[in-house]
Amino acid sequence: MNEPIGRFATAKTITRGVNIAPDLGKGIGVTFLFALVGSLARVVVPILIQQSIDNGLQPGNVRVDYIAKLGLIAAISVVVASFSLRRAVLRLGISTEQGLYGIRIKLYDHIHRLSLADHNEERRGALVSRVTSDIETLTMFFSWGALVWLLDGSLMFVVACVMLSYDWILALVAFAVSAPLFIVLRSLQKRLVAAYDIARESNSMLLGTISELVSGTETLRAYQAHEPIVSRTKKAVRSRADSQIRAGVIGAFLFPSGEVFAVLTIVAIVIVGVLRGVGGGLTAGAMVGFVFLTYRFLEPIAEFTEVVDQTQTAVAGLRRVLSVLDTPTGPPSAINPIALPSGPISIELRDLSFSYGSRADTQDDDLPVLRNISLSIPAQQHIALVGASGSGKTTLARLIARLADPTIGSVMLSGVNVNKIENNELRRRLVVVPQEPFLFAQTIAYNLLFAKPDATDRDLLSVIKQLELDEWVSSLPDGLNTKVGQRGSSLSAGERQLVALARAALTNPDVLILDEATSAVDALAEVALSRALRALSAGRTTVSIAHRLSTAARADRILVLEHGKVVEDGSHRVLMGRDRQYATMYAQWLTATQVGA
Amino acid sequence: MVENAVDDAVTSDAKDGRGRLKEATRLIIEIVKYHPRYFFIAVSGATVFAVCTVASSIGLKWMIDRVILVRFNEGRIDSSAIVVGSILIIGIGLLRALGVVVRRSYAGKTEWRTAETITNKVLDHIVAQPVKWHRQHMTGDIVARCGVDADASVAILAPLPFSSSVLVMMLVSASWMLYVDVPLGLLAVTVFPLLLFLNIGYQRRIDRYYNLAQRELGTLSEAVHESFDGVMVVKSFGAEERETQRLAVITSRLRDARIDAVYIRSIFEAMLDAIPSLVNIALIVIGAMRVKSGAMSVGDLSSFIYLFTLLMFPLRIIGYLFSEIPHSVAGWSRVREILDEPIMSDPLVLIGKTQTGTAIEISDLFFSHTPESDLIKNLSLHIETGRTVAIVGATGCGKTTLLHLIAGLIAPQSGSISLQDGGVGLVFQEAFLFAETLRFNITLDADVTTAKVQQAAEIAECAEFIDELAVGFDTSMGERGVSLSGGQRQRVALARAIAQDRSILLLDDTTSALDPATEAKVIRNLREMNGHQTVVIVASRPSTIALADEVLYMRDGVIADHAAHSVLLSRRDDYRELINAFEHDRDSTASLNRTNEKDI
Repeated sequence: MNEPIGRFATAKTITRGVNIAPDLGKGIGVTFLFALVGSLARVVVPILIQQSIDNGLQPGNVRVDYIAKLGLIAAISVVVASFSLRRAVLRLGISTEQGLYGIRIKLYDHIHRLSLADHNEERRGALVSRVTSDIETLTMFFSWGALVWLLDGSLMFVVACVMLSYDWILALVAFAVSAPLFIVLRSLQKRLVAAYDIARESNSMLLGTISELVSGTETLRAYQAHEPIVSRTKKAVRSRADSQIRAGVIGAFLFPSGEVFAVLTIVAIVIVGVLRGVGGGLTAGAMVGFVFLTYRFLEPIAEFTEVVDQTQTAVAGLRRVLSVLDTPTGPPSAINPIALPSGPISIELRDLSFSYGSRADTQDDDLPVLRNISLSIPAQQHIALVGASGSGKTTLARLIARLADPTIGSVMLSGVNVNKIENNELRRRLVVVPQEPFLFAQTIAYNLLFAKPDATDRDLLSVIKQLELDEWVSSLPDGLNTKVGQRGSSLSAGERQLVALARAALTNPDVLILDEATSAVDALAEVALSRALRALSAGRTTVSIAHRLSTAARADRILVLEHGKVVEDGSHRVLMGRDRQYATMYAQWLTATQVGA
Repeated sequence: MVENAVDDAVTSDAKDGRGRLKEATRLIIEIVKYHPRYFFIAVSGATVFAVCTVASSIGLKWMIDRVILVRFNEGRIDSSAIVVGSILIIGIGLLRALGVVVRRSYAGKTEWRTAETITNKVLDHIVAQPVKWHRQHMTGDIVARCGVDADASVAILAPLPFSSSVLVMMLVSASWMLYVDVPLGLLAVTVFPLLLFLNIGYQRRIDRYYNLAQRELGTLSEAVHESFDGVMVVKSFGAEERETQRLAVITSRLRDARIDAVYIRSIFEAMLDAIPSLVNIALIVIGAMRVKSGAMSVGDLSSFIYLFTLLMFPLRIIGYLFSEIPHSVAGWSRVREILDEPIMSDPLVLIGKTQTGTAIEISDLFFSHTPESDLIKNLSLHIETGRTVAIVGATGCGKTTLLHLIAGLIAPQSGSISLQDGGVGLVFQEAFLFAETLRFNITLDADVTTAKVQQAAEIAECAEFIDELAVGFDTSMGERGVSLSGGQRQRVALARAIAQDRSILLLDDTTSALDPATEAKVIRNLREMNGHQTVVIVASRPSTIALADEVLYMRDGVIADHAAHSVLLSRRDDYRELINAFEHDRDSTASLNRTNEKDI
């Protein structure tokens, strides 16, 4: 890594972070002043000792009243300083929490608006950790690292000032002798961090092995083959312990090195001070004061070295957070939106081309996914999209739903370009039912209301009735209040589809985009599903991505896609008569599902 | 709401505070015995550290009285005193540092070696438990007990030597301070318990807020995960703002819990800074009176205050040490739950031996998951050696359970199972591959020749795609290894079963993820395999069923019929219906074709 550029980038990252969350930087100057006053409490005692020894504890002349008076002043300063310290800690803590709260909200909003291309399975975990663990590294930093920089920084500053004011030569001696401590700590710290990285890695490897041992237990039992896996796991247990112990030993050397330098510095100060003697205006009290101040001065150094790494981690976390915020969001919202005419909606595609190549993270060549598609779909027509996987069916459906914008060309709904339609209106009039519908781990009613939060119970019931789902709903333990489990896991795949269809019906859309499920559902749900589908699509412009050709055969019109182009267009009967791609696909599909032998 | 949660925690805490101390003591006694030598060395190091801390003030007193004051009050440089003082200060300082090194190294050794011992104990225990036990526990939970909980139990060992050294330090320094000057010593000593209780009280209070914040963070990550997971739904209903709003409410709860913690923390930090300084000031003022009365020297007073300053650091962090206790006690009790469970008996011992010519003989078998209803009731069957048999039945009729009973993974409630010699190779519905090489996954480290592995892969129809991999059978399945499709994984699992060379192969819908052509090839390969291997297949694809020599038709927990596929088709309506249901897709299209024809 290049150091100067790195540092420059760090400063830039921090500035940007503060810009995004102004709360973080608000009143930081005042907070620093409070911290400065607060650190005075720690130098009061050394100063009091110095004053007492020099002016109150002369041999044969002990002035108790003088020392008591000084003590009173010192006590008052300590109390004032501690109030000030409290303000500093409080101010920093509150502005941190407010600032991080603000960043989190910005992240939620931004991530929800990222295009679907940025929301694939692989990136999901990364996005979640941006708002959880990455922000948490910032929380950790602000609750400890930043506090150390602030409080210990001001303490070192104040202590150095007091030392210099006592005797600048002794102060320089103290700084010079303790300087190598920085280097020693820094190198130990680096080793420690490396050792902990190894320890962390071996720890996660251990958990991985254990979890494999446990989840593979039935397989291992079936073949009585525990031995190799168990011994492998125990090896991982041992190497985890070894790496932790190694890190512990490095830490054991790091920790007391500050003390070693403290005693060296004290001895150096005493020797230099005694040699210089009274001549330089040095007093016995100042010498003793120095001894006390040495500890105050060295205490923060050890913490600083630990905090440096924490700071780097936090800045790296902030950088990742910022890079998410830098990722452009999905289709931009319409400026000067045009209202969609009411009533059924027709769809027109003009010269549509699309490629994912514009994304920086795809290494594939810029092969367009869709090429020059032009066609028009009259209102209320039922369309089936058919084609091999990768032919562009899903992308075409997404473009119509404006979940992405075409690279070239336009999608018109009833003559209005989709990018001119206000998002809320578009979502009311056009609904997408994906292949694997997502359900929130709440009740069925919650999931239905997600489509239309202001729907009444009557609305829900009428949709249920409309899709002929009454029987199914009444068979559920709690009717519409039945909990569906994580991702709807306590429902069957078919039942999840039913909920998704009812959810779509609730918004009473004019256009329906359906991605048919590939996974087989049980026969009973199949019947309910096709009934509900028929009721839902009746009278609505419908585009279905058909995986089963039996579905395609039922549509008004079939579009066959191949390598991003529409190669056939017509009804089942017409296409079967033509004996081209569709007829071939259909024949293949029939044999595949036939009884073998 | 937040306040309530905290209040509840307060009352429940006060109630079992004493019980917890008892538990902690028991925990310490139980786990220190695993590696007592390391622990003893660590405590010795800690004791050296404690004694040297007190002794270091003696070195300072020497320096002040005999070097500094002599120089500034009498103008004399006593070089021998300087040498002695320097040696005292540096020597004691180095010894003190050495004590820390020994203490910390060996505390770490104690902690992690003990963790290793405990984890291995738990591993041995769970490996000995049969499948039934594993099915009663969640994978994540067992893993947590081997890992996180074992680590939590030993977390108390790391600060233990230090805590004991703080005790030693307090005792030694208290006696030394009282020896130097009684009134001053008394004043200093009263601060120990004061700071100790302030610390413990603070730690308890702040922990509650931290725990609360931790819970809120858990809720938040769950909600965020779900919300991002469902981004498609969020987008298609234009619910971006609503979702952000929902997450904002949860986030604000987290923020508020943390701000509450900051309030408490800020007070504590300020008090922790102020109290020692105020006591120090009092010590100086009273000390001045004692110096005036001649009870002590200036050096005595300075070193007294120096020692007092040195003691503040351990007292500052002692509360943190106590905060580990509940965590460790909870972890240990979860580990003990596993270790204290008796090992269940292995169902494999119940399996008998058949006479020659019979592969599987089952009579009067009963099995149920719940006491209310039997899944398998009074099932009997007989399979001859060398046959390929399909088990057919509706979803949930107990086919998989039957295979697991035959494989000896689970035990029946009653009835008997006998198998021919040579063991069973079971291929599960979901193939499980280990994060090792393909070869390991097939051989399971048993003594299997390379030729045998190759042959098994060919029979399972996975040799071809394995050959295409750069390092073939040595390809790793680990995190950075290749990812195979479901069908490929199943074929590897099948190759494993074949390579293990068992006399009976049980395939649980293994080939369903393959395309029909590959599936047919695999089944033919299996039939052509020479030897006397018996193959039992749970199947739902009509083409697969048709390939079997005979079909066991399972219904209502018994074998309803046993004959060739064609025979069953012709003589049983319910069987025909089931096969039709399996073909549902083809059926619906067929009817559609008919209507089309009519239209024309």
